[in-house]
Amino acid sequence: MTGKGIRIEGLKKRYGSGDTAVDALMGVDMQVAPGEVVGLVGPSGSGKTTLLKCLGAVIEPTAGRMILGDEIIYDNGWKVSDLRALRRDKIGFIFQAPYLIPFLDVTDNVALLPMLAGRPNAEARSRAIELFKSLDVEHRARAMPSQLSGGEQQRVAIARGLVNRPPVILADEPTAPLDSERALAVIRILNTMAQKFETAIIVVTHDEKIIPTFKRIYHIRDGVTYEEAGEGRAIE
Amino acid sequence: MISLAGRDIMHSLGKFVFTGMGLGLLIGVTLSMAGIYRGLVDDGKVLLDNSGADLWVVQQDTVGPYAESSSIFDDAWRGILSMPGVARAANVTYFTMQVRQGERDVRAMVTGIASSEPGTPGWPPYLVSGRQITRGHYEAVADIATGFKLGDRIQIRRNHYTVVGLTRRMVSSGGDPMVFIPLKDAQEAQFLKDNDAIRQQRHRTATNPAFNRPQVPDLLAAVTASQSTNPYVNAVLVQIKAGDDADEVAASIRRWKRLTVYTRSQMETIIIGKLIATSAKQIGMFLVILSIVSAAIVAFIIYTLTMGKIREIAVLKLIGTKNRTIVGLIMQQSIALGVLGFVVGKITATLVMAPIFPKYVLLQPLDSVIGFGVVVVICMISSIVAIRAAMKVDPAEAIGG
Amino acid sequence: MLAVLVPLIALFMYVSLRSGPLAPVSVTVTKVTNQPITPALFGIGTVEARYTYKIGPTFAGRIKSLDVEVGGLVKSGQVLGEMDPVDLDERIHAQEAAVKRAEAQLSEAQTSQTFAQTQARRYQELLAARSTSEEILITKKHEQQVAEAKMNVAREESTRVRAELAALKEQRKSLSLIAPADGLVAARNADPGTTIVAGQAVVELIDPKSLWVNTRFDQLHAHGLAAKLPAKIVLRSRAVEVQAGRVLRVEPIADAVTEETLAKVAFDRLPDPLPSVGELAEVTLALPALPAGPVIPNAAIQRMHGQVGVWQVVDGDLHFTPVILGAADLDGHVQVRDGLKVDDQIVVYSARILSTRSRIHVVDHLQGAKS
Repeated sequence: MTGKGIRIEGLKKRYGSGDTAVDALMGVDMQVAPGEVVGLVGPSGSGKTTLLKCLGAVIEPTAGRMILGDEIIYDNGWKVSDLRALRRDKIGFIFQAPYLIPFLDVTDNVALLPMLAGRPNAEARSRAIELFKSLDVEHRARAMPSQLSGGEQQRVAIARGLVNRPPVILADEPTAPLDSERALAVIRILNTMAQKFETAIIVVTHDEKIIPTFKRIYHIRDGVTYEEAGEGRAIE
Repeated sequence: MISLAGRDIMHSLGKFVFTGMGLGLLIGVTLSMAGIYRGLVDDGKVLLDNSGADLWVVQQDTVGPYAESSSIFDDAWRGILSMPGVARAANVTYFTMQVRQGERDVRAMVTGIASSEPGTPGWPPYLVSGRQITRGHYEAVADIATGFKLGDRIQIRRNHYTVVGLTRRMVSSGGDPMVFIPLKDAQEAQFLKDNDAIRQQRHRTATNPAFNRPQVPDLLAAVTASQSTNPYVNAVLVQIKAGDDADEVAASIRRWKRLTVYTRSQMETIIIGKLIATSAKQIGMFLVILSIVSAAIVAFIIYTLTMGKIREIAVLKLIGTKNRTIVGLIMQQSIALGVLGFVVGKITATLVMAPIFPKYVLLQPLDSVIGFGVVVVICMISSIVAIRAAMKVDPAEAIGG
Repeated sequence: MLAVLVPLIALFMYVSLRSGPLAPVSVTVTKVTNQPITPALFGIGTVEARYTYKIGPTFAGRIKSLDVEVGGLVKSGQVLGEMDPVDLDERIHAQEAAVKRAEAQLSEAQTSQTFAQTQARRYQELLAARSTSEEILITKKHEQQVAEAKMNVAREESTRVRAELAALKEQRKSLSLIAPADGLVAARNADPGTTIVAGQAVVELIDPKSLWVNTRFDQLHAHGLAAKLPAKIVLRSRAVEVQAGRVLRVEPIADAVTEETLAKVAFDRLPDPLPSVGELAEVTLALPALPAGPVIPNAAIQRMHGQVGVWQVVDGDLHFTPVILGAADLDGHVQVRDGLKVDDQIVVYSARILSTRSRIHVVDHLQGAKS
């Protein structure tokens, strides 16, 4: 794979040391192509949160390789000095809850990321509004997060994940609080965005409503992943 | 880049302003404390300035006339006037007592000024209303802090005086307002007792056979008369000739007149060192305590504000906000709170505390500048606790387990 | 946000610049006026009687009776009281007896002298008739001379005791206390039965028509004090009434200790009821008015670096102008002899001490100073 996308080889993560050591990941292999939306499914305690944190460069793995596009970001040690810049520019996050900054309006919540990357305020805001158009929340552009409904907030959060056009997006249970119609809408948006911006999206979930929509699914059990072809059901 | 601190403040503006005003009152009280201290020192200085004297001649071996009582004969000034270097010398008496006006009485320092013209040492150097004393008896110039108005009839001991002029900032070192009356009246007031005491004294003298001799009928009258005069004053105020050295003139008066003489700087040391030393220490202590309390409160407020944003800080870290930006958020808020508090404090101190406090509150610009600097520094240091907490936040917490 | 910030900042700027030491000093100004001055002198004094008579005996004794009370009016020559004669009457009796005895002795001496004279003449005639010896004649002449001498002795003795009697009678007369002039009894210092010594006053009389005010003027403010100046007298017990009066004389001897000049001020018309002797009074003398000239209020006078002067406002700037002052009146107006012209603007009242560097802010009246 060249250009974008993410690839992981033999990733291991051990917490603690000696007798109390816990091996959360014991050799994970994964790859996601640009434009692909894959599911990451597993029971709690299987290590999926740990894997997400490693993918997001939030914690340091113990061993293995992580390659983002052409760049080796981890090879038994971080190969990138500024992890926060990495997260800001190369990795997009969509959390279980929207986690919007309450004292910024929704446009600025999203525009904050390009601004932190150094883009001028006007450009950052116009990017945000463009995304809002695609996500059908444009009419709420000037509102404060507390004034939006749960679904609207989630869509804003998705916009935030996308605004910097990162090559990789990690979504952690993005549909957990939503009903099936809204959940499918989220997945639809993700697919659209993935194709539009050639983003590789990994969705951690155990929501039965959306699992059938993935073309490929990684199961994770006891710290190891197994690839499986998904149903790839189309979303109306 | 938008200002995160600014947006956060705008979002909870009411809480911020309210907190700032509360802090401002505390800062205002602290500034007022500093002002009270300065006012104390100024009271002493103003007393010395307004007397118009370069030298104070007092009773031998006393630190009078303000810090200790001092009595010298009222003709001593003539000898002092003839000394080289002395341009003017005038008697003066000081006596703190209750001055009655209508139904109320006011504590004032009654100052007896030598019969002369404006510009004599001891005379009030400037008036805010009315005129200076022209008659040799029964006229008074009072400070507006007494509450007297022009034309009021005031009573000092058994005589009534008409207030003919008003002054401002003429106070004793203890902050009591001054009332100026002619020297002879003041000597009588300082000395003369109530009628009962006078009658008793006359009776005692009359029953003393040494004074009550039938063969010498006028002896008793003469003795009684001598008992009811007061030939003493508290000090002689001296102005020296232009170009002469105060210390030299003081030394020659000490040597030849054998009286104690203090120069302006010595009097200042006496007043500030002896009279107001205790009050100054008390206020200094309060100032330190208030500053510490203010610092603690600012630290607490900023810490609480930061802790309330801990989730947002985690998210910000996760989405790639630099540490610098997060530190800036906290510190800018802290400083903004400090500035708001200072502005409210300065306004409160000047417009509310200074006018109503019973003593003179002197708010100097330098104190305000220093106070501002201290407030900003305290805010910055106080925010360190919050910043440390913010730095410890693990962005991974934003991603739920 | 602006609605809160802007007024707050404005208030802060106001507070910083307009209060405290940075603020300009509020002052009031006035023009030098051209007006005549009526200087006046002010002094306080006590009411005294011009003539006070202290009446008492010339020797020690006891008071027998007093016929007057305080406040009574007496006439010149009136008997006020009597001293106890003690043994004086008896001594007069004794002296009268002595006078009689002297008279008797004188008679006896005269008789002897007549007989001796007759004898001497007879024997003279006898000698002429050669009936007696010269020796006997000489003896008889000698006897005649002796008898004459004895008669002179007796005569002088009689004169002496008569004079002593007269003296005792004079003393008896002075036991009466007699008023030397018309007057009012001001004091009765002893009651009948009291023993008093010579020179002690029993009754004090004053002439009520001669009440005057013994006034003291401070020497520094006594310029122009002279006799015949009109005076206004205010008695302490009658503070609302103003009595008219006149300076009777200025005392040649001043009080060196209290530095006061003394003067006697008489009432034009004595107030009714009479003021008590010893009552305090305030006396104001009007001196002749001086012609019009530049006049300033005395509140404007300052002393800077040893010079007397005023703060003058010239084109908005503050200057210290030294002046030479002239006469002043009791209302605070002072003549300017040199240094200022009429219509010059000067500072009268200020909120703080001024210096050449002060910024001033002219107002109508200073805060807190309304009367």
